[in-house]
Amino acid sequence: MTADPRTRVRSLDDPQLFVETPATIYDAVPPYPPSTEREAEFYTLRDGEMLINLGPQHPSTHGVLRVVLKIDGERVVDLDPVLGYLHRGVEKICENSDWHMVVSHCDPLEYIAAMFSELVPVMAAEQLLDVTVPRRAEYIRVLACELNRIASHALFIGWLALDLGGLTPILYGFIERDEIVEMLAALTGQRLLFNYMRIGGVNGDLNHEFMSRLGDWMGHAARHVNDSQTLINENEIFVKRTRGLGRIDRETALRMCLTGPPLRATGVPYDVRRAHPYGVYPELEFEIPVREEGDSYARYMLHLDEIRQSIHIIDQVLHQMPDGPVTAKLPRLLRPRPGRAFAAIESPRGQYAVYAMSDGSDQPFRLRIHDPSYFNLQSVGLLTPGHLIADTMAIMASLDPIMGGVDK
Amino acid sequence: MGEQLAGPVRQRHSTTEIRVAPGDVAAVMRTLHDDPALRFRLLADLCGVDTGTVMQVVYHLWSEITPDWLRVIADGLDRDNPRASSVTFLWKGAEWAEREAYDMFGIIFEGNRDLRRIYMPPDYKSFPLRKDFLLPDDASRSPGLGVRHMEQAAAPAAAAAAPRRARAG
Repeated sequence: MTADPRTRVRSLDDPQLFVETPATIYDAVPPYPPSTEREAEFYTLRDGEMLINLGPQHPSTHGVLRVVLKIDGERVVDLDPVLGYLHRGVEKICENSDWHMVVSHCDPLEYIAAMFSELVPVMAAEQLLDVTVPRRAEYIRVLACELNRIASHALFIGWLALDLGGLTPILYGFIERDEIVEMLAALTGQRLLFNYMRIGGVNGDLNHEFMSRLGDWMGHAARHVNDSQTLINENEIFVKRTRGLGRIDRETALRMCLTGPPLRATGVPYDVRRAHPYGVYPELEFEIPVREEGDSYARYMLHLDEIRQSIHIIDQVLHQMPDGPVTAKLPRLLRPRPGRAFAAIESPRGQYAVYAMSDGSDQPFRLRIHDPSYFNLQSVGLLTPGHLIADTMAIMASLDPIMGGVDK
Repeated sequence: MGEQLAGPVRQRHSTTEIRVAPGDVAAVMRTLHDDPALRFRLLADLCGVDTGTVMQVVYHLWSEITPDWLRVIADGLDRDNPRASSVTFLWKGAEWAEREAYDMFGIIFEGNRDLRRIYMPPDYKSFPLRKDFLLPDDASRSPGLGVRHMEQAAAPAAAAAAPRRARAG
């Protein structure tokens, strides 16, 4: 039984699509008339210009991202990121699952730093429920998050160098990350998607293996940061290819809704841990590193500074960790009062926020996930024009997007 | 600006909430952004909401004068023809957020230069985060409507009434 071809829904999986238009879905020029002013402008080529696809399966796109580059020779004139290859509709799925299940659905969004993407919805639910989280649980959350931040930043440094053609730093980055990941695996049972945060606390208390691995790692953590510093900070190729590249000033950064290291690299000291304190961060002493240059090199240096601050925070957390329960007593089925809540945290990539609405049922009415990668990736279109094709990757890597979070 | 408020100012959990009519968004946002006593320079979030009866656009702003969030709700967008003015003239970075709200809810932002689908394919017809877009799982909750094909070729106006309406307001 075949459907009427006029009413049939056309999708990109449709084999007929290829018969009618010889273009494939990876063709840079869209097979439909441009629908917006910007699209029409982008797909109009002037003399000597051409379109080329970067991705969707390109190692430097950090996931599945397609960027249509408009080039003139070796120079990028303009670009148009095409998103949605990893879109799973997590917000819709969350609307159809109960509050406890939201944690595991949000977990794989920012898969490099999963602790953060599971902490935010949990914080939003706690606001709606008016739960007070036990202090020990708050400290454990900070500990787990800061460890995860270091793991993520270590990988960032490696990736940035890898996208510039240096292989060694990523190996060191993975050594650092693996130690932390093994440590968190001892705590949570998982290496990548921890599923550790719970509404009202965390899944389990600290255990012996975790503490012993942590003590072991703390002994050489600071030295490892210095190692990676001596490895690439003064490397002539690295410095020449990152300094002055992808420069953005603070006004533009605010207009582009940048957060996290790309914003702080322009001199704006916006860190949610200080701007809108949550958890036990007001009790901890740490600095917010800020750079003024706003280029790729400043963003790289900022990540190193942040790793140092995170080690400093972990040090204090271990000294101040109180005793007590790690979860608040809550019923199995949560029915928060009707209302709205906005929770935001500082993830390694910037401000990670969740806007939750409850209608009094056991499922979220609306769960909006604000991923910093999505907003940071947007500025690649502003930073890249005028640079070489090879520098596109260096700029994109310095913004550190995670496509799992961008595409939701 | 007080005249433009369309509802009571509410405060809870260090978030202040104001409601404005969709036509006033541009003027209110410009005041919040530019007034030297307010300086809400950072757009923390922009998202669409379908309450089942109306559409809303929800903005979260942050200013260095206070650690609290300011939530601005553009309330009462028509579900059949949701329109709001774009804030890209203040925050260029809101462009993708508005594209997402358009993609998921069909909200049209007047003044956005690049309002096309961002996650779903360009030939996609419906708006997945609307409350009348049902997943097969929803059949258990709304047995009267049953399972429907996920992508609806019909215009959203022709879709059945939303099965779940907000009591959140």
